[in-house]
Amino acid sequence: MRNFLIRRALYAIPTLLGISIITFAIARLSPGDPIRLFTFGIKDFTQEDYLRLLHVYGLDKPIPLQYVDWISNAVRLNFGESLIYHREAGAMILERLPNTLQLAITALILQLAIGVPLGVIAALKRGSWADGAIRVFGVAGHAVPAFWLGQMLIILFAISLRWLPSQGMLTVGKDQMDLLDRLKHILLPAFVLALVGIANYSRILRTETLDVLGQDFIRTAHAKGLRERVVVYVHALRNSLIPVVTALGGILATLVGGALVIEQVFSWPGIGQFTFQAAIAKDYPIVQAGVMIASTLLVISYLLRDITYAIVDPRIKVS
Amino acid sequence: MRRLVAVLGAAMLVAVSCSSSATPGGGASPSAASTETPQQGGRVIEATISDIATMQPVLVNDTASGRITALLYDNLIQVDYKTGEPQPRLATFSVSSDSLKYTYTIDPKAVWSDGKPIIADDWLTGLKAVGKSKKTVRKSSFTNIQGFQEYSDGKATTIPGVSIDPSNPKKFTVTMAKVTCSAIIDNIGYVLPTQVFGKYVTDASKDEIDSAPENTAPTVVSGPFKLNEWRKGDQVILDKNPTYWQGAANLDQYVYKVVANQTAITNGLKTGEITFGTIQAKDLADVQTVSTVKIDKYQNLGYTFIGWNTASPTAIGLADKRVRQALAYGIDMDQVIKAVVFGEATKQVAHHVPVQWAYPSGIQLNQYTYDKAKAQSLLKDAGWTPGPDGILQNKDGKKFNLTISTNSGNTERETLATVAAEQYKQLGINAKAAPEAFQGLVTKLTTGDSTLEATIIGWSLGAEPDPYQIWHSSQIPDAAKNVQGFGFTFFKDPAMDKAIEEARNPSNGDCSIAARKKQYETFNQILNENQPYNFGYANNVLAVSQNSLQNFKPGSFSTVYNVYQWWVKK
Repeated sequence: MRNFLIRRALYAIPTLLGISIITFAIARLSPGDPIRLFTFGIKDFTQEDYLRLLHVYGLDKPIPLQYVDWISNAVRLNFGESLIYHREAGAMILERLPNTLQLAITALILQLAIGVPLGVIAALKRGSWADGAIRVFGVAGHAVPAFWLGQMLIILFAISLRWLPSQGMLTVGKDQMDLLDRLKHILLPAFVLALVGIANYSRILRTETLDVLGQDFIRTAHAKGLRERVVVYVHALRNSLIPVVTALGGILATLVGGALVIEQVFSWPGIGQFTFQAAIAKDYPIVQAGVMIASTLLVISYLLRDITYAIVDPRIKVS
Repeated sequence: MRRLVAVLGAAMLVAVSCSSSATPGGGASPSAASTETPQQGGRVIEATISDIATMQPVLVNDTASGRITALLYDNLIQVDYKTGEPQPRLATFSVSSDSLKYTYTIDPKAVWSDGKPIIADDWLTGLKAVGKSKKTVRKSSFTNIQGFQEYSDGKATTIPGVSIDPSNPKKFTVTMAKVTCSAIIDNIGYVLPTQVFGKYVTDASKDEIDSAPENTAPTVVSGPFKLNEWRKGDQVILDKNPTYWQGAANLDQYVYKVVANQTAITNGLKTGEITFGTIQAKDLADVQTVSTVKIDKYQNLGYTFIGWNTASPTAIGLADKRVRQALAYGIDMDQVIKAVVFGEATKQVAHHVPVQWAYPSGIQLNQYTYDKAKAQSLLKDAGWTPGPDGILQNKDGKKFNLTISTNSGNTERETLATVAAEQYKQLGINAKAAPEAFQGLVTKLTTGDSTLEATIIGWSLGAEPDPYQIWHSSQIPDAAKNVQGFGFTFFKDPAMDKAIEEARNPSNGDCSIAARKKQYETFNQILNENQPYNFGYANNVLAVSQNSLQNFKPGSFSTVYNVYQWWVKK
């Protein structure tokens, strides 16, 4: 296992390096000049001012040299200073990362808490109206665009019914530790973010449970006279969950990616919304820090998935 | 100093304001509430689409940061929220007859939040901070102060153009190296607490001011509010400054809340999560049905226009004044305003907007009322006649193609581009709309990219109406010389240059509003005649606030000028 971990960690280095080069190149070569962008229309801003700012931010150097400067600092976790905020970009991303993780983890819990029971119910009630309804829900969960659903839920629960807030993480003026208020704020964005996963898990669980229920050891369990509940929840479900558990590692990365849209809809102050706005403003250091930190998370989550996979199913070996 | 107010501008503003201060749900109107005794306490929540970048006024380069610094630090002078005329704030002021000396006397009551008096040295600290900073975008506003350039270049340790009265530390005079009419606004500068920022502007200092920790956590303020907490990316919480020199604010707290987009602002206003904010015209009808809010309308200090590239190698017709005039007659702007911004705008035919004193209210400008026949006639006079396919062509058989670019994602401008293209097709012009990313478009504009034929974009104007950067011939970009600028129409006119220069640096030293306004009449007349832009329209600002918010009286030039007088009715 130790060799496996070391090898996988080493694989991550060229991956992250490649991502850094691609991100850097796309950001620098796409049309637009960040200094011109954030000074557009400023009174009395002169050509001399423009050249001064280009120099201050190191943007007057050739792009390969800019990359060398950047990567040599990035390996020491210094991603450069934001062109707009005048602060260290990595620190600004890390300030917002817990908010994104909070949303992603809540969504993950909702996916499991709703998706797993739905899948089991659909399998046990195969062919019934409940099975049909869950399958329709599964298809709808994939088909409905998150930004549209989010807006519809805001209109229903926040504007019309006034049950839940429409935006943010916490009511202004509330104590930061007010868990009930936080729960109210996270409910809608986490649900919308979780929806695709709920649909996925219910589908996977339904298929797996049906498969397991038809196997010999289940028949044996029945023959031994075990109660139905024990057969399903102790013997069948445990085996059905294997693919779900192995999928967990990768799902976190998917959730962090999906949070970009959800954070926009619900004004959730996470890295998705922040990096998106930085990309529009061509604030290179923020974009690069955001992409690198998210990529590192992704690499780690895939690593965790592989480890989980190896633990759950020892037949799988790393070649 | 600026006593003349554009009569037409003022009249239009009043008309707009009066007709629209609607209280759809029958909530208390501001005028009714103003007679009541203000209640103490409460908080207002304003929404912003982007987080603030800094709380250091010298480094401010975005609207959000500008809002917060305006609440934390009072300026030397302020502009009238409706007319833009300079008025005393921290200081009274006077200008010498040759317009070279500006004398300020800071109010005896004015104190910092730590109890120390606000003195002339604090303004000098702000000026030195601009000189020391490498990241400020405002250096050029002060280059005409005697000795500032040398100080900024590190060649001097003092600024001789600033002299503080030895007998009165609250009185000082600023001497300009040459007559600079914009100085009355530019010299507002920054009044920073020397006891905090003085250590960053010593003779030995370099650019430490750019990274001072107090830039993001100010400890001493002069404004009605002080910092409680900045939750990055989420909200800035300000508490009232109990020692505010004009009297402590009625409100306990001012919260600046970051939301994702304009839709979130509208939602928040409807649910009451946001106390005030501006909405888009498309949401007005919806918000008017909400009984808990009131709506104030006033004219925006800016306009949206179509800029013609008069040097375009592909749309060669744009070089001809008659063609540009035809493009003005050939678009029904009133109809466009209804279609694009639901009627919430005023047609523009000049650079200055009606709420500015510089607006040419004393002269008759061509309104270019929609007249398709006249447009066709002008095009014919210019040598553009319909070809076999109905598309206009010149005597060489070259077709009149026209690509109207604008920034994608801005639905208002995209719609305007589409509607304009449709109307120009009616004239026989092969016009099409071409949205593209704002980032790339800005670079193309400022570098004078010849592939741009027509561009829809907007200008935000300020209290100082000097149009030098947009319209003086020196601002025309030149790709060969790597000179960038905002003169992307390539239009120039010696008489227009002279009018701009005389209003900016008058040879006779007369910076009075009357004298400058006369120059701006000439300037606007030339633009109106030559039509390098179709000047489009100036939007209405639709400011929505909860009925409970009292004394909230926003105007084209300022929203928070009287924030310490706001109160929340419980």
